[in-house]
Amino acid sequence: MAELLFEIGTEELPSWYVARGEVGLNDLLSSRLAAAELAPESVRVYATPRRLAAWVRGLPESTPRRVEERRGPPANVAFTSEGGLTKAASAFAAKNGVAASDLVRLDDDRGSYVYANVPVGGELAAELLPELLAGVVRDLPAPRKMRWGDEPTPFIRPIAWLVALLDGRVLDVEVAGVRAGGRSRGHRFLAPGEFEVGGGAEYEGELARRFVVADRAKRRAATWQAVRSAAGDAGVTADEAPALLDEVTDLVESPFAILGRFGDEFLELPEEVLATVMIKHQRFFPTRAAGGAFAPAFVGVANTHVADEGVVRSGYEQVLAGRLYDARFFWRSDRRKSLSQHAWGLSGIAFQKELGSMADKAARVGVAARLLMDALGIEGAEAEAAKQALPVFRSDLATEMVFEFPELEGVMARAYALAEGLPAATAEALYGGVRPKTHEDGVPTTPAGAVLSVADKVDKLVGFFALGKRPSGSADPFALRRDGLAVVRVLAERGWPLPVATVVEAAAAAYADGPVSVTTEVQDAVVEFLWDRAASLLTDRGASVPVVRAAVLGSVTVVGAARRALLLEALLQREEMPDLLALYKRAANLSRSEALPEPVGSSAQPVAPGQGVKPELFQEEAEPRLLAALPAALAGAQALLGAAKAQLPGWDIRDAAPVRLSGLEGAMQAVVSLKAPLDDFLDSVHVLSDDLDVRRNRLTLLGEVVRILRQLGSLEQLAVG
Amino acid sequence: MLFQEILSRLDRFWANRGCVVAPPQDTEVGAGTFYPTTFLRALGPEPWRVAGIAPSRRPADGRYGDNPYRFQYFYQYQVLLKPSPDDVQTLYLDSLYALGIDPKAHDIRFVEDNWESPTLGAWGLGWEVWMDGMEITQFTYFQQVAGFDCRPVSVELTYGLERLAMYLQGKRHAFDVEFAPGVTLGDLRRDMEVQHSRYNFEESDPELQRLLFDKFEVEAYRLLGKGLVYPGYEFVLRSSHAFNLLDARGVLSQTERQGYVQRVRRMAETTARTYLQPADDAEAGPTTARGKGA
Repeated sequence: MAELLFEIGTEELPSWYVARGEVGLNDLLSSRLAAAELAPESVRVYATPRRLAAWVRGLPESTPRRVEERRGPPANVAFTSEGGLTKAASAFAAKNGVAASDLVRLDDDRGSYVYANVPVGGELAAELLPELLAGVVRDLPAPRKMRWGDEPTPFIRPIAWLVALLDGRVLDVEVAGVRAGGRSRGHRFLAPGEFEVGGGAEYEGELARRFVVADRAKRRAATWQAVRSAAGDAGVTADEAPALLDEVTDLVESPFAILGRFGDEFLELPEEVLATVMIKHQRFFPTRAAGGAFAPAFVGVANTHVADEGVVRSGYEQVLAGRLYDARFFWRSDRRKSLSQHAWGLSGIAFQKELGSMADKAARVGVAARLLMDALGIEGAEAEAAKQALPVFRSDLATEMVFEFPELEGVMARAYALAEGLPAATAEALYGGVRPKTHEDGVPTTPAGAVLSVADKVDKLVGFFALGKRPSGSADPFALRRDGLAVVRVLAERGWPLPVATVVEAAAAAYADGPVSVTTEVQDAVVEFLWDRAASLLTDRGASVPVVRAAVLGSVTVVGAARRALLLEALLQREEMPDLLALYKRAANLSRSEALPEPVGSSAQPVAPGQGVKPELFQEEAEPRLLAALPAALAGAQALLGAAKAQLPGWDIRDAAPVRLSGLEGAMQAVVSLKAPLDDFLDSVHVLSDDLDVRRNRLTLLGEVVRILRQLGSLEQLAVG
Repeated sequence: MLFQEILSRLDRFWANRGCVVAPPQDTEVGAGTFYPTTFLRALGPEPWRVAGIAPSRRPADGRYGDNPYRFQYFYQYQVLLKPSPDDVQTLYLDSLYALGIDPKAHDIRFVEDNWESPTLGAWGLGWEVWMDGMEITQFTYFQQVAGFDCRPVSVELTYGLERLAMYLQGKRHAFDVEFAPGVTLGDLRRDMEVQHSRYNFEESDPELQRLLFDKFEVEAYRLLGKGLVYPGYEFVLRSSHAFNLLDARGVLSQTERQGYVQRVRRMAETTARTYLQPADDAEAGPTTARGKGA
């Protein structure tokens, strides 16, 4: 058994890549070693902004030896009539490196052939690894790679050095214009020289002595420890901010926390403003005083230890103060006007040339939001909050703060609304109405905010689609897909019984007076676009494509489709399902000569099963048996939908469902118990009878079966054959 | 350290590392990247090293001189090294040393920052360099320029001179920076900044700028059609500036804006194609558009 140490030294990697590179190197190296029959006992990876490394232990010295039986020509080609070997047989032996006399003849059910028993394997790891490791460097996955200098091989950032040691001996790896050696480098500023790497066991310690914490998890823990203790020394508590901690961990090879301060006068700023400036712009950790309010102090994490920490601290403080100074200036000057006054400014901000200004858009959003609230029956306090919010919705776009810090849109509307004394629910609606801004962002937390958010985004989709500006392929210059994803997430999270088509109709109605005409074709296209977004989120969460198609085509609401996808996944675990699906498909095909029943949404009332079926026309035993089985199956389907609705009233379908559906067994049994009578019916009954009344009656009965099962989704998407 | 001393030290430093210290371009540009010595020279296979101050204009960034960091007219220090050398980060850190900044005494970080210029059809990957939390330099490995793959890859270093000087002199506003003994940057630029901010946001005539854009565009294509790369490219730059003025005036809708960006980009691509053409045509011999002037 051998051990391998492999290090890719780079110029500074993007911080978001470090964790991905750590996983990517582990996976790719492990799979390549396994594919080469050199699967090791363990692989341990290291990742910092300047290096990705792997320590491989228990690596076989060579690939396993075994004998491979290779089939040659048929016996009648291999042997002459006298029983000697032909030229073809000798050539086959030569090609496989065995003596002709070692060929054997075997007769089996494939016929009679000669075979060569070829010893394979035994290739030395030392000989295979150079090309294998070069391949790992070339193929390491990354969303975007770059080239540098004259070198054609791309990598995430330029490769500065490589270390490849097999049991202490340098492997002859050359890739991207760099030849591997046995020398690594320490911290860029604190230990810049090269050093001889002892081996895998020594690697982490040798780097630690050179101010590099190579293990990412340890560096993350050390970073948080440094931040906490720097804050603690000053009597404040640092905010946890996990995303910031991840980022900072991968901006340094060693964390050195520095506490800085800013003037008390900046504490008048809303916390989100302070946090945005500190976290997003400077990567500083905000801190809090004993009471929980923000303290006028922050913790920055330097990559290096300097002789005079005061120099770095004063740099940090100066830059932060400059930004806070700006922010406070905007905070004060913006509040000289009310939000309604800022809203006047929306007429001067273009939304889209052909679709008018932001003020025009706000008016449309108002119309659509009211229609949505009517459709949903939202009234009382929530309706009041939405109606108060509408005249000033997105008015913060006209403020200086949002002009300078666009990411604070919504945050500022809420803060300014509270500052001028608007009710908290109204302020929250203004905040929620612009969310989610990204995939990572959360959905609005109140119904009023959700109504504004949906109305606002669907207005944009409908308008741009009407202009013919639909996304195509990878081109989505107006980020319409992002908006579509946001809409379906909000609809699902609310669990609203609101058909997607109704949402689009409301937005389209707001365009009744122009400026563009929204045809039914445009509306249909937007509806389909939204369903595609829902489907992509559901498949991202692991549902199979056919299941998602079945769920989507069989639903009118997003949350209905999401629940059906889960139910179908559960049902497909049942062994009866493949047969039931095949029978369903036959039934559906047969009954297609009758009008197919419409999909039934979760809001639809249960309809008595077997309606329209005339028992007096039954001729075969299987007919009444199938009819009799319908009520239980329908009850089962309804029970499944009911249980899903009760257990999952609504959730953000960006994420996995918050609970696993449970207690479905009885209802699932009721549904799949339809299999036997249906099987019997299709087997023994001639559906297309010459007696047209009998034929129609049998088709009606099958139509009922289809109608019942289709409550769970468009099952023809799942049936095979 | 006086502002003019920073400049001359950077000039000296990069001259000693094989750079041509080129004087600034005399048409308006949005950044040093638009200089023919960068934009054109990053194309094609020939090695090239250039450095120098690059005064630039971004009309929309005017703040009437109020904001300590942001101006519609500013000084960049622009360096282009082609092909990008292996030790370019070290070279860069050495240049800071030449300015009296000991990299070991500061928190210096290379923070990912990718660059894209839709109008130039150019993009690159690299970093912004932070010193004690302040961004002082953009560091970009050009991957594509005008839609052409860069082979070899050039690296561009763009120093924010105002910020560096503020830091070195401990000033809170760029206009307080001492340019020469007794003369501040504000003395040189404040009135201009205030007046141009007024012009960019309040007084510029959008109809005139639209008209100019159209005429400059026609002239650019006419000249490029005759193989006159340098005069043609100057009209591309003028079009680009007219677009920037329209943008600052806030008169462009999102689609209109996109339309203008595409038009500048097509001009830039035509420029690059015209510039590169002789290299693809072996019979054109040594008298190519390239190699003459810079």
